[in-house]
Amino acid sequence: MFNPRIKFVLLAGVVAGLMSCGSDPNDTGTEFAPNMYHSVGYEPMTQIQGDTNTINPLGMNMRLPVKGTVARKRYTGSDSLKQAFLAQEMIAKTIPNDSISYSEKSLYNPIAATPENIEAGKAQYERFCQHCHGEAGKGDGLVAKQYKGVPVYSSDALKTMNDGHIYHVITHGKGRMWPHGSQISSENRWKIVLYVHELQKQ
Amino acid sequence: MFCKKSTLVKSLLSFAILFASVSATFAQDAAEGETLFKNNCAACHNTSDEVLVGPGLKGVSERRPIEWIVKWVHNPQAVIASGDKYANDLYNKFNKAAMTPYPNFTEPQIKSIIAYIDAANVAPAAPAAGAAPAAGTAAPAAQSSGGMLEVLLVGLLIIMVIVLIALLSIVSTLSKITTAGEGSIEAPLLQRLAENAKALAANSAVKTGILVLALLLGGKATIDAAYGVGIHQGYAPEQPIKFSHKLHAGQYQINCNYCHTGVYAGKGANVPSANICMNCHNAIKRESPEIQKIYNAIENNEPIQWVRVHNLPDLAYFNHSQHTNVGGLECKNCHGEIEKMEVVEQRSSLTMGWCIDCHRETDVNSKGNAYYDKLVEVHNKDSKTPLKVQNIGGLECSKCHY
Repeated sequence: MFNPRIKFVLLAGVVAGLMSCGSDPNDTGTEFAPNMYHSVGYEPMTQIQGDTNTINPLGMNMRLPVKGTVARKRYTGSDSLKQAFLAQEMIAKTIPNDSISYSEKSLYNPIAATPENIEAGKAQYERFCQHCHGEAGKGDGLVAKQYKGVPVYSSDALKTMNDGHIYHVITHGKGRMWPHGSQISSENRWKIVLYVHELQKQ
Repeated sequence: MFCKKSTLVKSLLSFAILFASVSATFAQDAAEGETLFKNNCAACHNTSDEVLVGPGLKGVSERRPIEWIVKWVHNPQAVIASGDKYANDLYNKFNKAAMTPYPNFTEPQIKSIIAYIDAANVAPAAPAAGAAPAAGTAAPAAQSSGGMLEVLLVGLLIIMVIVLIALLSIVSTLSKITTAGEGSIEAPLLQRLAENAKALAANSAVKTGILVLALLLGGKATIDAAYGVGIHQGYAPEQPIKFSHKLHAGQYQINCNYCHTGVYAGKGANVPSANICMNCHNAIKRESPEIQKIYNAIENNEPIQWVRVHNLPDLAYFNHSQHTNVGGLECKNCHGEIEKMEVVEQRSSLTMGWCIDCHRETDVNSKGNAYYDKLVEVHNKDSKTPLKVQNIGGLECSKCHY
């Protein structure tokens, strides 16, 4: 039928062809019934197939909250602790970035320094602070080596910083540190404050 | 002669001792200064001339007399208030941000800090030399990703070659037996090979073998392709900015939650907004063209169009917080070793079977969660196995499809 040499080449070609299939990393592959896969409604964090979003600017599916928005959803209800979080956050939001002394005087931590809360604060510290401030708050995190200028919590100038000061720094930033209020909920920021107090003693 | 030599030795010795003691006190000062500097000054000042929050301190001992520095460190506001011109110029240059006073520092302590700053500037080559190879080692390691497929291909190729050799040797033995004594062994190698190949092609067993092999391979490829429909496993799209998880999550060990802010709190893990990038990149790698893309996006108020990698079909509901916060799963349980990926790839299949398998096998993370107390109690009444996700409706259709 075929010359054996041609046959071998053909076979090798078929095998190579089969193996090279479907290796394009930019391709999701075949989708069966794509209209069941892709949301009709606009989903956040997703590219839209076909029509782009014509309602929002720049085709975005999400919009920025109005400036100064305080998320109230988490703080509603009769729970006095949640009310305290909300009140503190409302005050903190109205304090200008450079008025750290005002925060020192007007903010207080609604959470008690129980071992559980400090432990929860440690978990939050590890997620949001440790890569710069270091495991023990000595300013020796892996990122700090690149970023430079990360303080030591237990230094003379910082070891007496109170609740309001630390909360202000996390929320609004200070010196080289930029604001982290958008990333961490108010409750978790107060927990971090508890743990930073522990590190100040070290 | 002897006497002369001994005085020479003595004077050399004394000189050496003097020198050693001087350099030792200098080193000791610098070491004390280093601790003091790192604990108190490094948050705002660099030992080089780079401005952090306050001015870089390189050559400060030449710029200002030591008495002035001591006064300034003890109480900067007083020096400014005294009308000192240099102090006021400095104050105005740094937007009237006053330095924290350090009244407890003694003069020798301040001198030791200055000694450390000078020592750090004498030998600036050491840290630079250390930094260069560190940057170099990151690059070659980056190319190793996606090596799995290559290993597989090479392995298959080797197997094929072995099979070919085996087949050829069988054929040659067979032809040797059939043509024994005809003297064909003396024929040239190529001719023999061609003859053997011809004989091979004529052999019906070999023909059937090849046909079966081709059918099997083709069948497997078809089934694989059919199973792959709608599954994005291995999807690793190119992103608008060449962000490396291997660098950020691996080398620098930045927690996933730092950028993916919603992962413990909401349905989606969230792709970070540009302000989170800027927390570090306001200072780090400012010149990189990839980082410039972030700056451009912020300046033009445009979103960065990251390409979503993991995307469940719209018909299935999934919530991150239920799995991470309540279930206590780690990110890598589903996403694989992200901290080793230069470009993020979908490692798990994210099929329904994959979800169900896990729901069948996984124990409910009920410890310390009062919500599950009653459920565990009821379950333990008539079962000896621990409470699994499937026992609390983890296999119900409407749990995910509604």
